[in-house]
Amino acid sequence: MVEIVLPGSKITSGIIKADGTYIENDSTYASVVGIFDEEKRHFIPLEGLWYPKEGDRVVGTIVTRRISVYMVDLNSPYKGIIMTKFEHSRLEEGDIIEATVREFKEFDDAMVVVLTRPKRLFGGVLLNIKPTKVPRVIGKGNTMIDQITQATKCSIIVGLNGTVWLKGGDINLATEAIKTIELQAHVSGLTDKIKNMLEKKGK
Amino acid sequence: MQKPELIKDGKRLDGRDFEELRPLKIVAGIIKNATGSAYLEWGNNKVLAAVYGPKEVLPKHLADPEKAIVKCRYAMAPFSSLEEHGRAGPNRRATEISKVTKEVFENLIMLEKFPSTEIDIFIEILQSDGGTRSAGITAAGVALADSGIPIRDIPFAVAGGKIGDKLAIDFNKIEDNYSDADIPIAISPNLDRVLLLQMDGKMTKEEFSRYLDMVERVSKQIISAQKNALLEKYKVNG
Amino acid sequence: MQIKVSKEYLTELLSRQERVDQRGFFDYRSISIKTNTIPNAEGSASVYIGNTYVLAGVKLDVGTPMPDKPDEGVLVTSAELLPLASVEYEEGPPSPEAVEFARVVDRGIRAAEVIDTESLFIEENKVWNVYLDIYVLNYDGNLFDAGTLASVAALLTTRMPRLEGEQVIRTGDLPRLKTKGIVASTTFAKIGNAILLDPTGLEESFMNARLTIATDDEYIHAMQKGLAGYFTRQEIEKLIDTSFEKSKMLRSLISKAVSGD
Repeated sequence: MVEIVLPGSKITSGIIKADGTYIENDSTYASVVGIFDEEKRHFIPLEGLWYPKEGDRVVGTIVTRRISVYMVDLNSPYKGIIMTKFEHSRLEEGDIIEATVREFKEFDDAMVVVLTRPKRLFGGVLLNIKPTKVPRVIGKGNTMIDQITQATKCSIIVGLNGTVWLKGGDINLATEAIKTIELQAHVSGLTDKIKNMLEKKGK
Repeated sequence: MQKPELIKDGKRLDGRDFEELRPLKIVAGIIKNATGSAYLEWGNNKVLAAVYGPKEVLPKHLADPEKAIVKCRYAMAPFSSLEEHGRAGPNRRATEISKVTKEVFENLIMLEKFPSTEIDIFIEILQSDGGTRSAGITAAGVALADSGIPIRDIPFAVAGGKIGDKLAIDFNKIEDNYSDADIPIAISPNLDRVLLLQMDGKMTKEEFSRYLDMVERVSKQIISAQKNALLEKYKVNG
Repeated sequence: MQIKVSKEYLTELLSRQERVDQRGFFDYRSISIKTNTIPNAEGSASVYIGNTYVLAGVKLDVGTPMPDKPDEGVLVTSAELLPLASVEYEEGPPSPEAVEFARVVDRGIRAAEVIDTESLFIEENKVWNVYLDIYVLNYDGNLFDAGTLASVAALLTTRMPRLEGEQVIRTGDLPRLKTKGIVASTTFAKIGNAILLDPTGLEESFMNARLTIATDDEYIHAMQKGLAGYFTRQEIEKLIDTSFEKSKMLRSLISKAVSGD
């Protein structure tokens, strides 16, 4: 049984640096719902938002084109931008792209996620899942995402912002697998569970 | 109209003890479109709370480059009362409650993590029976924890005060209307902060201190209901 | 989890007679109707169609009749697209969308004479007003059918208050509001040339035309075509047939919910 910690609860005396925590009086408290692993002294947020970090690979949709930028919907508190003077891609409103976070900064009175090396993704389906579940969908050493791709023959790109792109293959089965992972990310033995599900429901 | 007797044979009109809460039940995550949400039933109160954001501020000039701004809407459904149909549109009472509720969450949400954005909190009272602003804050606390927006603590709230010469907690509508003092209070339990305090009536300082003790004693039950709502989400069958 | 698709993907799916959630073109999502969910109100019902969640509340107050119908009570229908129901909904006065929604649901109920408005007469210049308020709590498409189901289920289980002198008594053993008819609506979305029953929020974001038809077992009582696209005559006549068929199923769901109350 995992011990779930709620916001405001003290995780430990002493300081741990982790997403979803804050420090007060030399102790660490949870700021989101999460699990504390006492042995590893590691806090895993079960709920939480995506905090843009340089190098994050993301998936988004072009919403508008302005004179020097494209605005990108990243399903997050902040919009992404692609600066046309650095990135020479021809993009249109509605295009789905994958890109990398270059920096997170102020632009035109708002905070934006500056994206670089955008690549257009054609067709397919987008899923928006909770960003905290992304590591589980990918799995340690890509184990989870690989078994889904193999079983469904889908092309899948998982953005760290919580947007997943799927194309081809059995999209319904892949979607169901990802939905299950999102709901049961904190349960142990999930990889095997998904493996069984894919075997049973796959062609 | 004559003031009704609120105490009969040493008990309250609905049979409760003075320190007894009405039944409280909370469910988290009920509004799928929201970032976080909670549905709460407390006595006959039925309350929906939902959180959206952080998201872009429109119009832009309202944005704060240092932190997120919080907007809060508290509203009562026209069919929520035991009496006549409520007329539509914002009223002054709802405006005031929206403001003091917002101020509870402005203290607890880690606003500086999301500069230039807004976080919207919605509290809809679907059925009312006294203590709705407290029910709303208690539900909204759960909705925020459900949302993943970082908060320093989950607040709870309760309203009570003085009926006759007795202190009592968790007023229903009649007690609310005819009390000698009515005190809604919202507290961040882990940080020991009072974030909402309103009072209306007549009370000594000693009585108020005893009231605060009473609030502390019942807090465990309220916090437990909030906790159960959040833990329930993670219970998995099979 | 939220799914987003491109127009091309959806068009391709539809050309193979498939929908994103794998339903048939004329299948409803799962529907649940619960009555008396707000006991303070004289009548109420909560409805889910898929993830669309709508609550209808009914309150009665004493008022004056309409000048052209002095012997009848008055039905007043309002709808609120609560800002908590969707990212798209904002606080403020009812949008044209909300107004159309309320008026279309009202039309079906009025034309089918769900309420026996003559039974609401008290005395000269005094009648009962029936306030029907439809609250949208979570939007995922097809508000019309969810709103109509919730409204009809609420009205059929509404308790009739009593008048004692000038005082309205809303508690105790009360009779039911007198009702005459029952109605259900069916809403179709047109995407390209495909016509789908009970569109989800995702499907509605692609539709170019919408048709809502409210029927009972014999008659059509209301119709509303929405958005800038079009339907052909043949399409409409075929949808009317489908509507009668589906309305039967919906009305039996209402009856089940109502009799359980």
